[in-house]
Amino acid sequence: MKVINKIYIFITLIIFLSIGFLYHSILKIDEQTKNNIEKILISKANYISKNVDEEIKKKVEKNLFETLKNNPKLRIWLEDAFSISVTPSFKYIYILYRDKSGNYRYLLDGSKEDKGEFNQRLNVDKERWDKAYDTKEVHIIMQNNIDKLFITYLKPILFNGKVEAILAIDFSTTLLYTINNAVAPIKKIFLYIFAAIFFLLFILIYQIILNIYTKKESITDPLTQTYNRNFLRDFLKNINLSKYQIAMLDIDYFKKINDNYGHKAGDYILAQTAEIIRDSIRPKDVLVRFGGEEFLIFFYKEKDKKTDAFEISQRIRKSLQDKNFSYEGVRIKLTASLGVVLKTGHYKTIHDAIKKADERLYLAKKQGRNKVVAQDKNSLSNSNNEYVSISDVKEALDHNRIICHYQPIVNLSSSEIVKNEALVRMIAKDGNIIYPNSFLDVIHNTNIYNDMTKMVLDIVFLQIRQYKSKISINLNLSDILNTNIYQIVLEELEKNKNLANYLTIELLEYEQIDEEILQERLLHIKSFGVSIALDDFGSGYSNFSIFQTLPIDILKIDGSIIKNINTSKVAFSIVDSIILFCKRLDIEVVAEFVHSEEILNIVKDLGVENGQGFHLAKPREKMIKKL
Amino acid sequence: MKKILLLFILVSITLLASPQDTEKKIYKTILSSIFPKKSTILVWSDNPQKQKILSEIKNVKIADSEEDADILIINKSYDINATNKKIFADGYLVFKHYKDDIIGGFYWQKGRPNLIFLKKNLIDHNISLPNTLKNYIEDYD
Repeated sequence: MKVINKIYIFITLIIFLSIGFLYHSILKIDEQTKNNIEKILISKANYISKNVDEEIKKKVEKNLFETLKNNPKLRIWLEDAFSISVTPSFKYIYILYRDKSGNYRYLLDGSKEDKGEFNQRLNVDKERWDKAYDTKEVHIIMQNNIDKLFITYLKPILFNGKVEAILAIDFSTTLLYTINNAVAPIKKIFLYIFAAIFFLLFILIYQIILNIYTKKESITDPLTQTYNRNFLRDFLKNINLSKYQIAMLDIDYFKKINDNYGHKAGDYILAQTAEIIRDSIRPKDVLVRFGGEEFLIFFYKEKDKKTDAFEISQRIRKSLQDKNFSYEGVRIKLTASLGVVLKTGHYKTIHDAIKKADERLYLAKKQGRNKVVAQDKNSLSNSNNEYVSISDVKEALDHNRIICHYQPIVNLSSSEIVKNEALVRMIAKDGNIIYPNSFLDVIHNTNIYNDMTKMVLDIVFLQIRQYKSKISINLNLSDILNTNIYQIVLEELEKNKNLANYLTIELLEYEQIDEEILQERLLHIKSFGVSIALDDFGSGYSNFSIFQTLPIDILKIDGSIIKNINTSKVAFSIVDSIILFCKRLDIEVVAEFVHSEEILNIVKDLGVENGQGFHLAKPREKMIKKL
Repeated sequence: MKKILLLFILVSITLLASPQDTEKKIYKTILSSIFPKKSTILVWSDNPQKQKILSEIKNVKIADSEEDADILIINKSYDINATNKKIFADGYLVFKHYKDDIIGGFYWQKGRPNLIFLKKNLIDHNISLPNTLKNYIEDYD
């Protein structure tokens, strides 16, 4: 579209330039013609003046003024002689002398009309006539200010080397008019063309202004005067992701405001909230009303200036918290939650980054609202958990700086280690251990993630080969659905066929899966002897229906339930129900997050077979077979 | 838009400045020089075209009759003896004919404006012209 516009502009420009060039050429031709006519007329005037001069000198030997003054008959004779040269082009032929006062007066006038009398004064351009008088040379005056006159030709008449008079020939504008009349229609056409161009330009400018105004309206949310989703669609097409940080804001309990005070109050709150956000951000930042009470903010990262979306988001959160909204005398207080993405460059697409901001917003809501969350759930506890880049992970993979830590899963009755869960870690260049929540998100949906999966499987099978002990690894359900990763898993299993039965795959993320394909693939994996476990069951999107289709061997109860089992009746009942359910289906149960003796005793009493947690054993660099 | 239109009109007027405009300016100078203290100058003319030009000059009004006028600008033959008014000629022939009685004349010749004041008659009418017009005063025989 942009290329087509450029072509249009280019063609239009060429047309305008061509018209301009044509007009310029016609003006040039017009000027050249006039110059040529001027030359021809001057050349003729030279002949006439020469003849006149000769004629005078035949009759007057010296003292022109006195001779003519005293001889009226000679004057008449000479004037008659001169009048022969008068033509439509040479309108006036006359001779003036300069009197003592410096004024010019007639000596002879051969003109057929507007004839001057002897010694009558004629108002002429003295300065230029004097020049002809003083220089004794022919002088040409362009008569721009005299009606119907084109040029005045001046030739000094000399007697004994002294100028006694000036012969003047006035050229009429007749020829000039003829030329002008010939050129006038062409000029007129151009005038119409220029007028049409200007009119079109005027319409074009009007249309552009109208378009800008209409476009602005179409991309602006009328209520909050922020950008709307129409704008966002175009903005996201051209955005340089790494130049922005993103925050997603949602007004807490906004529905209650609508329900309690009415929709008009809700609208008022939305407009005011937008105003507060606008006051907190800079002109280069972009504010979009993303949904009902959701706003998306793009913080522009200026060169050499530190942009901290987290800090600005905190400021916005505080401003909203402190603000006393007043609608029709009713005081309304509100808070907002924000999810922030600082390192947008780590995401493959802008949509991924927005999704991440949304997830963090969800996390902020989950953590009690009126919060700004700029890190993922697991990374909140790790102070040194800043994101690393894709190239950092790739480098770590290339330099074998990917390792596994192992956390034992213990049989609660015998206190024997039944299995170890492999937990992937990355060793930073400075030797620090980096946890997976800092780098898995970064490489998600990239080939690096596939390489990482392969490397973990290699490490785990090496350990299995060495210790002949069971190890579990973590994979997302979506990883199994990803054909590339699935193929990697199959290849590794094929390579380590005899060790496959030592491996357990713990599956995470239960949302929106194609259970049919998953079932087929899990059954294939299981055919190698691999056990399938469901991790973190009981939290998030997990539900029991999954057991209808998926071949699950082990179920790991989520730590968030286990940790409350001693204080919450509900948590206790959930665990109790899960155990009963699993016994009926012959599914092995593992309790995660066993962090105290009290918890250990409760889960043991409930009949949980295996447990995992800091109270039993912390993750270690090296796998152990006994506690 | 209005400004552009106004500019266009002014430019057009300047470009289309006619001999009439020149004549108007000259008559304005002549009359204000002859009557430097008069706020309104009453002029009578026998030439309808001249009347039109003169009526467009600020501070000049066309008199209904010769008696009311401060100055008569004549183009045709006129009974000079019947009045002691200041008379100005509007043509070379009239100027030449009444040169003993008129204070001056203005006429066009060969496309050029010509102005002449007659010294003797200026003195008779006790008129003193400013320096700018002194060059146009002549002893005309």
